[in-house]
Amino acid sequence: MKEPLFGAFRQARSDVHNLGPLQRIAKGTKQYRDDEEVDYVIVGLGSAGGVLLQRLAKAGFKVVGIEAGPFWDTELDWVSDEKGSHKLYWNDLRITGGTDPLSLGENNSGKGVGGGSVHWAAFAPRFHPSDFRVYTEDGVGADWPISYDELKPYYELLEREIPVAGPAYFPWGDPHGYPYGPHPLGAVGDVLVKGCTKLGIRVCAGGPVAILSGSHGNRPHCIYRGFCIQGCKVGAKASTLITHVPEAIRYGAEVRELSMVSRVSMRNRDRVNGVFYFDREGREHFQKAKAVIVSGYAIETPRLLLNSACPGHEHGLSNGSGTLGRYLMAQAGNVVLGRFADLIRMYKAPPAHALSEEFYETDPRRGFARGFAIQTVAPLPIAFAKQMMAAKGAWGWGMRRVLMDYNHWATLGVLGEILPWEDNRVEIANEKDQFGIPVAKVTFNLHENDKKMIAFGVKKVTEIMRAAGAEEVVQESRYAHLVGACRMGSDPRDSVVDKFGRTHEIANLFVCDGSILPTQGSANPGLTIQALAARTADYLISQGERIFTSDRRDMTTPPIRYSLAVEDSFTKGVPRFV
Amino acid sequence: MAEDQELLPVDPQSGKPIPRTKQPGYYPRYSTLSQKKFWDATTRKLIEERVANIPPIRFFTQAELPLITAVTSRVLPQDDRLAEYRIPIVPWIDHRLFENEIDGYRFEDMPDDREAYRLGLQAIEQTAHAMYAKLFVELEPLDQDAVLKTIHDGEKRAAHEIWSRMSVDRFWHLLVQDCVSAYYSHPWAWDEIGYGGPAYPRAYTRLENGLPEPWEVDEQRYEWQAPASSLSGAYDQQAGATDKPVHGQGGTH
Ligand SMILES: Cc1cc2nc3c(=O)[nH]c(=O)nc-3n(C[C@H](O)[C@H](O)[C@H](O)COP(=O)(O)OP(=O)(O)OC[C@H]3O[C@@H](n4cnc5c(N)ncnc54)[C@H](O)[C@@H]3O)c2cc1C
Ligand code: SF4
Repeated sequence: MKEPLFGAFRQARSDVHNLGPLQRIAKGTKQYRDDEEVDYVIVGLGSAGGVLLQRLAKAGFKVVGIEAGPFWDTELDWVSDEKGSHKLYWNDLRITGGTDPLSLGENNSGKGVGGGSVHWAAFAPRFHPSDFRVYTEDGVGADWPISYDELKPYYELLEREIPVAGPAYFPWGDPHGYPYGPHPLGAVGDVLVKGCTKLGIRVCAGGPVAILSGSHGNRPHCIYRGFCIQGCKVGAKASTLITHVPEAIRYGAEVRELSMVSRVSMRNRDRVNGVFYFDREGREHFQKAKAVIVSGYAIETPRLLLNSACPGHEHGLSNGSGTLGRYLMAQAGNVVLGRFADLIRMYKAPPAHALSEEFYETDPRRGFARGFAIQTVAPLPIAFAKQMMAAKGAWGWGMRRVLMDYNHWATLGVLGEILPWEDNRVEIANEKDQFGIPVAKVTFNLHENDKKMIAFGVKKVTEIMRAAGAEEVVQESRYAHLVGACRMGSDPRDSVVDKFGRTHEIANLFVCDGSILPTQGSANPGLTIQALAARTADYLISQGERIFTSDRRDMTTPPIRYSLAVEDSFTKGVPRFV
Repeated sequence: MAEDQELLPVDPQSGKPIPRTKQPGYYPRYSTLSQKKFWDATTRKLIEERVANIPPIRFFTQAELPLITAVTSRVLPQDDRLAEYRIPIVPWIDHRLFENEIDGYRFEDMPDDREAYRLGLQAIEQTAHAMYAKLFVELEPLDQDAVLKTIHDGEKRAAHEIWSRMSVDRFWHLLVQDCVSAYYSHPWAWDEIGYGGPAYPRAYTRLENGLPEPWEVDEQRYEWQAPASSLSGAYDQQAGATDKPVHGQGGTH
């Protein structure tokens, strides 16, 4: 190794594009002209879009990723600071309502290359096999058009590519082990392990998280600085910005930053021919493309398809069934906070480092379908103060006092499966954004099953907190991880896309991001979204030119292409097994 | 006006006010800024500028300024800090509103943030008038707290027209969240609460049992009571928090 591991003790360089302290690429990417017809336009380079861009470029397609936010230089743009990281989030206007309105913004989605994978906590559990057949097993929600077994090889592949650290044996769902070893525990993990152990609840320490426990090529291991949700300057936490986008660029993909897509354009009733977008100066452009993939997140994707309504598609693209925008889901994300007599200092270690999925599956004795997971979380001071406002009604001197005790508190998150309901949805509001594009309106209502699940989950986590020795326990209700709203299914009457992400009504228009999930389980969605993206890419690649020329739908499952994985995924770093 | 001493937190043993200091809290002489040479350059520049460059007032009018100042000094009181070590709050709220920096959403029962502040300040004034027939800025601190407490509690003592256009609970959350964002983003507040601050590229190495890093200091607790002239020392769940759960907008997992 020619460079010291912690390269950033040197000055960051401004003549290159820094993606972490050691990974540097040349500034700029290939640039297509607007009128040059490319093979694929990908709208949004987030968790899904980043993987798609890499796969399609590596397979030799002409591909442009159009991203509303910036192409981050992690050394020059990012900071180790809570307030200073506000710019990582989607801060443009959305309207939120319903009986249980969701907080959006920083609680929710990203803007900029990497999307939500820039600020995710990086918990990376798989979904359970039961998640793919919720309707069959429980009579609620929906079944997926694919089974766990179809996605499993992609889980295994992405766990190597990004990669995921965790225990040698993960006991829940389809039991499996992780390529990188588990992380050391921070004090919040100790609380979870202690509480669960006292109560005889199985708990998993040190992962699964997409954070490096050993260095991996030009990415250093974690330094336990606790700023994961503010973007990992170290490059230890995976984001598609640093895992997939660099290789995409090497294979000739274009990253077009600060460009907001306003409308997908139809060539005729059956096929799209490109997208309209606004550049950073607010000028409108049209990029020609043979096919379009929308990967804009569970709010912006339906917003774009609804805003693209045109003659022949009066209610939005691929919305003949009226399903577009419906069945939006958020996971219950209640935070249970416990005060301990001893010091905790929860700002150290990644917020995500231990969990239990003991209550994930349906248990008829509980009186509701499906379940929840329990995970470590660790708010920094501002987020903690906001939680104390909600949890204790704190203000004034009470706020000052409880914050002086910040180092005595530990926090655990419930992550609960809220079912897909028709009335939870994304629509178009009357307001417009800075480009004049109508914004999204999000409606969210809790239903009976959801309420029972949340009450049970909060009670259980409170017991764990008490068992770990907390002397005071309070909670804040929250929601996390929006998915759904363009769900996949076999029946065009109640879904928007098929099992490969192709819209039911337009043969060269695809959706690939969290919005296609029919149900969400109690696992954080990021890994599943990336695995689905790799699978969609394999489908597109196996179909080749037919995507651009034919309206025929070939539903044959493509072979998995290990050769398209990020280079050296199987040889870099210190994997546990090869 | 209340005696200056009545504004101070009290030592419960002696019953005497605790003198103002440069740095309240249980971590005496702890200084995150003293570690800034170990921070990466981008972070160091941002934090140094935050301390040195306080934005000018451009959103609030000269008429509104005394009121928002009086309100925020009760929502986030700093009477225990020496005047030159108080953390600016109003300039940051003003900055956000002037620049129209929003959090990415608006509740359907709320106007936009600028309008919400203008209306909220009027509602506070109307409530002060209804309760004490005085301007908010003329009230004793305890009475100012009583006015604010009605809003914390979602009580709507006055300003019914305004509260019919805007949720009282959500206005309260907006105000509190803006105050804590300004205060707890300042390194002096980090010193007060013993938070480690930026740690790239150096790392944290003592992860368990609340142990301090070599540059951090251990806790030295003392007892204190909220000033007699205040109502905010006690914790009261907000009314309505059960049927309409309150959540902060911070992301966690
Ligand atoms: C605080 C926090 C913590 C989280 N922690 C975890 C975790 O631990 N584990 C986990 O699995 N998940 C976590 N998540 C969730 C995770 O980040 C998201 O589920 C995931 O990133 C969604 O992927 P996506 O591809 O659907 O969208 P995104 O990753 O959000 O990508 C969408 C991209 O599209 C761009 N875009 C949108 N519309 C347009 C347009 N019209 N034109 C151009 N560009 C556009 C956006 O700017 C964005 O970059 C967390 C989220 C938050 C907020
Ligand atoms: S805790 Fe680890 S993964 Fe998280 S930001 Fe710090 S170095 Fe990155």
